[in-house]
Amino acid sequence: MSDDALPADAAPPAPAQPPVAPVTPASTVRALSCPNCGGIVNVRAQGLTVSVLCEHCGSTLDATRPDLQVIARANEALETPEIPLGTRGTLNGRVWEVIGYMERTDEEIGWAEYLLFNPYEGYAFLVDDGRRFSLGIMLDRLPTMGWGNAMQLDHQSFSRFGDTYPVRVTFVVGEFYWRVAVGETVDETDFVRPGTMLSCEVYQTERTWTRLDLLDWGIAEKAFGIPARRREYSHPAPHEPSPYKRQLREALVVGVVALLALFVVSGIGGREQVIGQTTTDAVLDGPEKTVVIRGLDLPSARSRVVVDADAGAIDNAWVDLDYSLTDEKTQDSVDSYGLAEHYSGSDSDGSWTEGDPRPEVSLSSIPGGKYDLVVTLSAHRWNGGSGSSSFSMPTGFAGGSVFGQDSGQTIPVTVTVKRGGVFGGNIVLAFLLIAIWPLIVLFKQFGFEKRRMAPVSGSGGSDDDSGGDDD
Amino acid sequence: MLDANCPNCGAPIRFRSNDLPVKVCDYCRTSVLRTGGNLQAIGKIAEVPDDVSPLQLGVRGRDGAQGFELIGRVRWRYADGAWNEWLALFDDGSTGWVGESMGRYMMLREVDDDALAPVVVDHIKSGQPIAIDTLITIGGIDYAVADNKQVTCVASEGELPFNAPLGLTATSIDLMTPDGECASIQKDQGGEVEAYVGRYMSLAELNATGLRSFEGWPMPASAA
Repeated sequence: MSDDALPADAAPPAPAQPPVAPVTPASTVRALSCPNCGGIVNVRAQGLTVSVLCEHCGSTLDATRPDLQVIARANEALETPEIPLGTRGTLNGRVWEVIGYMERTDEEIGWAEYLLFNPYEGYAFLVDDGRRFSLGIMLDRLPTMGWGNAMQLDHQSFSRFGDTYPVRVTFVVGEFYWRVAVGETVDETDFVRPGTMLSCEVYQTERTWTRLDLLDWGIAEKAFGIPARRREYSHPAPHEPSPYKRQLREALVVGVVALLALFVVSGIGGREQVIGQTTTDAVLDGPEKTVVIRGLDLPSARSRVVVDADAGAIDNAWVDLDYSLTDEKTQDSVDSYGLAEHYSGSDSDGSWTEGDPRPEVSLSSIPGGKYDLVVTLSAHRWNGGSGSSSFSMPTGFAGGSVFGQDSGQTIPVTVTVKRGGVFGGNIVLAFLLIAIWPLIVLFKQFGFEKRRMAPVSGSGGSDDDSGGDDD
Repeated sequence: MLDANCPNCGAPIRFRSNDLPVKVCDYCRTSVLRTGGNLQAIGKIAEVPDDVSPLQLGVRGRDGAQGFELIGRVRWRYADGAWNEWLALFDDGSTGWVGESMGRYMMLREVDDDALAPVVVDHIKSGQPIAIDTLITIGGIDYAVADNKQVTCVASEGELPFNAPLGLTATSIDLMTPDGECASIQKDQGGEVEAYVGRYMSLAELNATGLRSFEGWPMPASAA
């Protein structure tokens, strides 16, 4: 009643053959000799392998027959795959043995595919595009149609990468679980997301879906003992994640933080403080007038000084304001100029106004110390929009807008001196400096995406002239 | 359970299931047909050619809550390859098939005759080809045809629901769904159509133990 249903040595009367109970582990490799060249052909997946390409003479052998019948005779010197047949390597914790190798082309670029085998895991593909390796597993379920041209698998969306294209076998050696032949063509359609490609191959009445996961740089090389590839991104794979994406995200985060900091700093440093003020009357078309605001204190080593003038009451007149900020000790002075003006009137388009009666002048990087601000004002009347008319002198008729502004009339002008505040130009400069790195990374990212999409965007075939030949 | 002796060579043979009429003698490879209590030798079966399948008779596994043991195998071949169908005897006495092809495994159970629409059955019986991607509803679920091939039996072993000698032919249609479900429709030599449904499962998902060991290959952790 034990589970060992087969009595191993129960002395059967006439055992034609012993029971199938090999005590020693079976070997997965069976050495046969090539019926064409006599060389040793190691069949590594006996019972599963359908085609064997003899690595000595290149003949195609039928592995579904015990005698390895020759399907296609060949006597060629064969090239050796970079990873030799029979090499074992561990990828993602699984041991794989290289049992087959083929080179394929879409007529523009070529690539290599290694068939990997593990008796407990089945098959996998190691695809080598010359730069990077991807590990492919045949899907045991169907992707579903997603939005637009996308396909959906395991709640992930894969966008279609170009049209369906023919893929041709250009070289093959080793063993395969299907019938392979040089020249055989399948129709392939690719769907990609960063790091993964879904590849659909249609051959006659069969359709297979393979999921290809891009391996990190150096993983496959290390696993199978070949020299590591150099990292470069000149011709990215369709499913290659952009190396700049993380950088871009970092640059954007750092940029946003820097901008916030800039705002906070300009908010704190930007609070202006009034350090002096005076109000004086400017006589319209009268003589120049000079006022001095004394004892302006600038305690910081360098300060921004803002001089506001307010001639709010003027109309159809202007006030020239000459400023001279003079250090009481050194008598060094910084000169500047402001213009308070306001005009109004009416014409065929209706009434209009123009001019700023409250000019603001900023002086940056003023050394610390005690200062006097000398303000020289001169006010002038403007003789209306219709300057050529004869209304200029009889002021009472000058369109009403100059009404009440007699010669000798005065305009109150208030001059306010403030310190602090971030100079606008500095903020713009800081903003540009902050934006430089994210912009550089952004351009790199665009360039990468353009190169990644190049096989399906630029090379439409007929529009060679627009594609640009400079790669 | 029936313990008896091979009518050809006299070696002890055991029928584990009462519902399976055929047993290939482990010693002389005679196919033994059981009718009631009578045993009858009905022909020689070729030895199953060696392959690197990790499965063998006696492997135990689980499909959901049900444990099973592999008690029989039929090896089929078609124009472009070969595959195994392993008969699983579940603990409750029912049976299922573990299809093994290209290193992948399908756990399949037969469905009732009415799960397949009569029009589909008629179409398959007529021998007309079925295009890939054709949707076929089995038991209310839509499956897409993945391939469709003519197959020939290479060999068989163990207990089986039918005699499977070399040269037995059948039509086999494989079907898939987006959810990893799969199905198989087979038309036997007599024209009878049966449908099987199940899932693709890895050896780890099948909790397979008692696997064959291979020189130089580590046994997967799930099978220890």
